[in-house]
Amino acid sequence: MAKKSTLLTLLLGVSLALSGCGGGAETPASPGADPAPQPSGTPSEPKEEAKPEIRMIMQYGLFDPAKEFTSKYITEKTGYPVQYEMLPAENADEKLNLLVANKENFDVMKLNAAQFYNLATSGALEPMDELLEAHGNHINQAIKPESWESATIDGKKYAIPETGSGVSIGEELIIRQDWLDELGLSVPTNADELYNVLKTIKEKKNVIPLTGSKDSIYGDIATTFGVLTDWKEVDGKLVHKAEQPEMKEFLGYMNKLYAEGLLDTEMPINTAQKAIEKFASGKAAAYKLAWWNAGSTIAALNESNPDAKVSVIPYLKGKDGKAVVGANANTTWFIAIPKASKHKEDAVKFLNAKLEPETFKGLAIGEEGVHHEVKDGKYYPILPKFNDDLNNASAFMTGVDEEKYPIYWQARVRKDPVLQNYFETFQKNAEGLVVVDPMSTAPPIDAVSRNTLKLRTLLDDNALKFITGSEPLESYDTFLAQWRAEGGEDMVKAANEWYQSAQ
Amino acid sequence: MQLMKQDLDLKKITAGAGGNAIKSSPGEKLFAAFNYAFFILMGMTTMLPFINLLAKSLSSEQAVVSGRVGLFPIGIQFETYYYVLQDSMFLTSLRTSVLLTVIGTALSLFMTTITAYPLSKTRLRGRKWLLLMFVFTMLFSGGLIPTYLLMQNLNLVNTLPVLFLPAMVNVFNMLIIKNYFEGLPESLEESAKLDGAGNIRILIHIILPLSLPVLATIALFFAVAFWNDYFAAMIYITNPELKPLQLYLKELIVSSGGEFLKNNVDAAINMTPQSIQASSILLATIPILLVYPFLQKYFVKGVLVGSVKG
Amino acid sequence: MKPEKDKPQAGTGKKAYMPTLARDIRKEWDLYLLLIPGILFILLFKYTPMYGIIIAFKDFNIFTGFADSPWVGWKHFEKLFTSPDFSRVFQNTVIISLLKIIILFPLPIVIALMLNEMKNMMFKRSVQTVIYLPHFLSWVIVSGLFIDLLSVNGGLVNKLLNSMGMESVAFFLDNSVFRSVLVTSAGWKETGWSTIVYLAAFSMIDPALYEAAKIDGASKWKQLWHITLPGIAPIIILMFILRLGNILEAGTEQILVMYNPVVYKVSDVIGTYVYRQGLGNQDYSFTTAVGLFEAVISFTLVVVGNSLSKKYLQRGIW
Repeated sequence: MAKKSTLLTLLLGVSLALSGCGGGAETPASPGADPAPQPSGTPSEPKEEAKPEIRMIMQYGLFDPAKEFTSKYITEKTGYPVQYEMLPAENADEKLNLLVANKENFDVMKLNAAQFYNLATSGALEPMDELLEAHGNHINQAIKPESWESATIDGKKYAIPETGSGVSIGEELIIRQDWLDELGLSVPTNADELYNVLKTIKEKKNVIPLTGSKDSIYGDIATTFGVLTDWKEVDGKLVHKAEQPEMKEFLGYMNKLYAEGLLDTEMPINTAQKAIEKFASGKAAAYKLAWWNAGSTIAALNESNPDAKVSVIPYLKGKDGKAVVGANANTTWFIAIPKASKHKEDAVKFLNAKLEPETFKGLAIGEEGVHHEVKDGKYYPILPKFNDDLNNASAFMTGVDEEKYPIYWQARVRKDPVLQNYFETFQKNAEGLVVVDPMSTAPPIDAVSRNTLKLRTLLDDNALKFITGSEPLESYDTFLAQWRAEGGEDMVKAANEWYQSAQ
Repeated sequence: MQLMKQDLDLKKITAGAGGNAIKSSPGEKLFAAFNYAFFILMGMTTMLPFINLLAKSLSSEQAVVSGRVGLFPIGIQFETYYYVLQDSMFLTSLRTSVLLTVIGTALSLFMTTITAYPLSKTRLRGRKWLLLMFVFTMLFSGGLIPTYLLMQNLNLVNTLPVLFLPAMVNVFNMLIIKNYFEGLPESLEESAKLDGAGNIRILIHIILPLSLPVLATIALFFAVAFWNDYFAAMIYITNPELKPLQLYLKELIVSSGGEFLKNNVDAAINMTPQSIQASSILLATIPILLVYPFLQKYFVKGVLVGSVKG
Repeated sequence: MKPEKDKPQAGTGKKAYMPTLARDIRKEWDLYLLLIPGILFILLFKYTPMYGIIIAFKDFNIFTGFADSPWVGWKHFEKLFTSPDFSRVFQNTVIISLLKIIILFPLPIVIALMLNEMKNMMFKRSVQTVIYLPHFLSWVIVSGLFIDLLSVNGGLVNKLLNSMGMESVAFFLDNSVFRSVLVTSAGWKETGWSTIVYLAAFSMIDPALYEAAKIDGASKWKQLWHITLPGIAPIIILMFILRLGNILEAGTEQILVMYNPVVYKVSDVIGTYVYRQGLGNQDYSFTTAVGLFEAVISFTLVVVGNSLSKKYLQRGIW
C-alpha cells in the first residue's frame, strides 16, 4: 500500500510539474513575467536621473559587444546603459522575425534594407517624425534630405538611414605587368584589346588568362557594353539590366572568352578566395580585385612569385571610346525603433546623443594622439591601438554624419599601405566616370523589395549558364520571359511608377 | 613493408589467442591482405584533410592565400594557436560546449534508455500506437515559429537547457536501443522474474550491463550531436556567454565568406585570416574526437552475451 | 505471476481492452512508469507546437499570427505542383536519393563486416578512429576539398587521368558526372561514421555460434552468411526503413554548397529549390506546405516499409 501511494505521489508530481510548464504554452506571456533582464532603473523613475537601459539589435560581427571599447565609450558619452544583442551570421532574417513577432521589447534595431522593409510594412516599426522633431537635432543635422527618402514610406520616416562610407568603387581589373612586359604587350584599354591580350597570354604562357569568382560576374567588362548597375535610365525610363539589349552583347563576349579558354573555366565554382588563390599563386594572369582583398592578395603573390609586378587596368572604354563606372549609393543600414519598445523617447535621445559631432568623431576614429593622428589634413590610424579599440566600431554606428564620416572612415583604409594604395588608385581611376544607380535614392517599393534578391539570383545563375555555354544565348529571351513572370515585370513597373512621380 | 608487418602481427595474435586456430586457407589470406590494403588506403584519404588543415594552421597566411600549402606547413608559425587560445570568445564557447555535451549526453542517454525499454516489450499494451506516435515526430514537425513560442513561454530562451531539453528523447536513438533490447534473450528476464525482480531492477541489473555496446554507441551519437549542433543555439541564444563552439566556428567561417561580406565593407577589411580559421576548426574538433577511443573498449565483440549465457 | 505472452491484439476483443489495460498496468506498473517521462517530453516539445502545420493552408504572416492569417486551402500545394520546375526538381530529388541509398546504404555494412574480420585489435581500433573523421568536417570544407581534388587546373584526379592519356573532366561542371561527385563525397564523409551502429550490433552475436560453426568446418564465407548477417539483420532492417523515410531529403545542405547553375539540370532538388524561392522574402506557408508534402510521403513509406518487413522478414519497428 505504502509503495503504491508513494508511486502515485511521484506520478502526480511529475505530471503536474510538466503540465505546469505545458500549460504555460497556452497563456500569452504577461508583461510581468517577461524573462528579459532589466537590471537598471524602472521607466517610472524621473527620466533625467536614471536613464533606462536601451536594448539594441545589431548585425553580426565576430566580437562580444559588451566587451568592446566602443560600447563602453557610447555608454560613457550618452549616459545610457545598453544591452546589445546580435543577429546570427546566417539565418539573420529568420531570427529577427522570431524576435519581433514574439514582441520582444527591443528599443533600437540596426537593419539591412530587406529587413527594414519587411518590418516597416508589417507595422512593426514606429514612425519617427515627431520624435525626431522633438529630440533629434543632431540626427537631423547629420543626415541629408535625399538619404531620408530611402527610409520614408507613405510620407513617414520609419528609420534613420545610415549611408556608411559614401560612394566608393570596390573592384577593378588587375593584370600581371611582368608578363605583359615579357610578351611586349601593353595594358588593354577596351574589350577588343583585352581579348587580344588574353589570347596572347594563353598562347605564350599557358596560364589561365583571366580568372574570376561566381559572386562577381559584371564590373569592368560589362560596363564597356553599357551594363552598369541593376538599373539604368534610358530615355527617361528605368530599365533593369536583365532587359537591357547590351546584356546579351556582354554575355556573348564572355561566352567567347570562356569557349576559347581565356576565362577561367572554373569560374562558376570559384569563390573569391579560390580566384585569389589562382592569381596569387601565379596560375592566372588577370583578376577583378576588390581593394579590401588587396593586402593579402598582393602579399601572397609577392611571396610566391618574387618577380611579379601587378598593374591596375584603367576602366576599359566602351564602343563610344568613353569609360564609365557604375556605383550604388544605397543606404546600407536602417536604424529603427520597434513599436514594442517601452522607451521610444529615450531611444531617440540616445541615438541623437551618438550623433553629437564630438561624440561621433570619437566613435568613428577615437581620440587624436591615441587612436589617430592627422597628417596633411588626412586622418591616419595609430596602430595597434586603433585596431584594438576601434576595429569593430562601425558595427555600433547608428547613423553617420554624412559630410564627415566618409573622411573619417578612410583612416580604416590607411591601416595597410597596400590596401590604401589600391583603394586610392581605384577611386582616382574612377574619378569623373561614376554613374550612380538611379534607384539608389528610391524609397522602399513593395514589388522591388520583395523581388530584388530572388531575381538577382535568377539572373546571375542564368548569366553563368550563358557565359559557360551550357545554355545557348539564343534562349536568352526564354529566360527573360521567366524572369518577367517571376516578378520582374511587376518590379520594373513599380520602379518606373516611382521614377515618373519623382521627376 | 608496412603491410607485411601488419600481416605478421595478425598471425601472432591469432596464434596466441586461440591456440587451436584453424589454419587460414590461401583465399582467406588473400582476403586479409586486401582488407589491410583497403583500410590503409581509406584511412589515408580520411586523414589527409586533417593533416592539410594542420599544415595550413601552422603556415604563413601568404602561403595559405596562394594555395601552396599541402601536407607540410610553409613558413612555419605558431601565432595562430596563441591567438585562438587566448581569445575569450573561443574559450567561453569551449566551456559552454563541454558543459552542454556532458549534461546533455548524460540526461538524454538516461531518458532515451528508459523510454526504449518498455517499448521493447511486445507485451506492452498499445505498443504499436505508442511507437507510431514517436516515429510520427521524426517526420512531422510544427515548425520553427510555434517551437520558438513554446520555448519562450517556458522561459527557456537564452538558457543552456534550451540546447538539450528538446533533444532529449531522440526517437532515432531510442529505436536503436529498443532494437538492441529486443535482441537480448528473453530467458534472462524470465529467470529474474521468477526470483521476484521488478522490471526496473531487471533493467538496471541485467539488461543494462549487457547493453554496454549499444549504450556506448548512443552516448557517442548524443555527444557528437550536441557538440556539433549550432542550429538550436543560432535560434535560441543571443547571449554570447552561452554560444557553443560550433556556432562560434560557423559564424567565423560564414562571416569570412563572400555572401556575408558583399554588403559589408568594414567586415571585409577585418576578415579572419585563413590560417586562423584552420586552427580554430582543428581546436574545435579535437575535444570531441577524443571521446571515441575512450568508448571503443565497449565494442568488444560478443564477450558479454556469451559470458552471461554460459 | 508469469506475464502472459499473448500476441498483441490477437486474443483481446475491443470491449475487453480497457479492463485488460488497467489490469496490465496494475501488474506491471513499473514498466508503464518508465514510459511516462518520454511521452510527456514528446507531447510537450513535439506535439504542442504541431499546430504550426496549419499555416500550410493559410497565407501566414508572422506579424499577424496564426489565428488571424487567412485560410487559403490548397493554394501553396498547387503552387508547388504547378511550378514549371517541379517535375525536374522532384525527379532529381528521387534520383539522387535512390543513388545514395543503393550505393551508400550497403557500404557501411560491408565495411563493418570487413572490420569485423580484422584480427589485429590495434589496427582495427586505429582504423575505426580514423575513418569516421570526415563526419566532423562541415560541407563547406568537404566541398572545398573535392573542388581542389577534381579541379581541371592541377587537381590530383585530372592529373592522374592525363597521365593515363585521358582528357580532363570538369567534374563540377559536367551534367553527366556531377551526381556521382555528390554521391562520392557524401560516401566519403559519412560511411565511416555510419559503420559505428553496425559495429555495436556485432557484440550481440553469440560467440558460441562461431565456435560451433568452426567445429562443423564452415568456411568464413558461410559463417558470414549464416551467422553474422542474420545477427545484424534487425539493425539493418531498422536503418533501412528509417532511411526510406528520408527519401525526399537528397542532401540539401550538401547540394547547396556544392552545386552551381551549370549543373542545376541534374542537381536542383526540392530543398535547394525552396531555398532559392524563399530568398529575400520568407514564405513560411510555402515552406511548410513543401515540408508537409515531404512528411506525408516519408511517413507513408515508413509505414509501408514496416509492414512489408513484418510480413516477409517477421521484423519491424512496431
